[in-house]
Amino acid sequence: MIIDRIDFRLANDLAELGPLVRALDFFGEAVALPPKTAHRLTLAIDEFVNNAVDYGYPDHRQGEITVSIRHRVEHLEIVIADDGDAFDPLTAPAPDLSGSIEERRIGGLGVHLVRTLATSFAYRREDERNVVTLALALDA
Amino acid sequence: MQIDRFVEKNVVITTVKGRLDSSTSPKLDEFMAAIPEGSSVLLLDFAELTYISSAGLRVVLKAAKLAKGSGVVLAICGLIPPVHEVFDVSGFSTLIPIHPNRDAALATLG
Repeated sequence: MIIDRIDFRLANDLAELGPLVRALDFFGEAVALPPKTAHRLTLAIDEFVNNAVDYGYPDHRQGEITVSIRHRVEHLEIVIADDGDAFDPLTAPAPDLSGSIEERRIGGLGVHLVRTLATSFAYRREDERNVVTLALALDA
Repeated sequence: MQIDRFVEKNVVITTVKGRLDSSTSPKLDEFMAAIPEGSSVLLLDFAELTYISSAGLRVVLKAAKLAKGSGVVLAICGLIPPVHEVFDVSGFSTLIPIHPNRDAALATLG
């Protein structure tokens, strides 16, 4: 099956993630994504939707998060946008990966994981929205 | 997600099936909060873990800290390649012993 484009529109509510993950699993199987690419895809969307819901709306206003995936020849292009408070993930401090178990801080890994696993990663603030664009290799 | 626990030799084995993400990780966190009396080795068997996010890593690191503070060894086994990749990128592979499967883990730890 060929699915070259898939779009989701979600409320800023973590309950939206369950159906989204099932749709991503379906998409991954339909286009026969390599296992690592499928895992990276879910991870990228899971981490950024969680961050937006947890930190983007401190006043608990209703918000909207959109996710779009384009299936290109050599990569998946993913755009995640939210209308939460401005947050540039490129300014997030890199976690210290070298410490011992006692020294390692708990948390702060989500953005690092996605930035490392993506082949390209960009952020822009546009029309009061945070827009993250990233690419994932299809030959993982 | 399903969590099961049993003891083989002197190793307390916890198996986790399914997905470890922000919605399921609190359950594992609760499960790992107390170390069973008299145990010296904890093994997390992730052979049937299909997905892990940073929320899952957080619970694993917390369990590793608790074990270390209690003088207990915590090890992991059975990571599928996409999950192993997340452990590698997070630097956890160098913090926590990872064995290819349960038999290999028990041969070393048991």
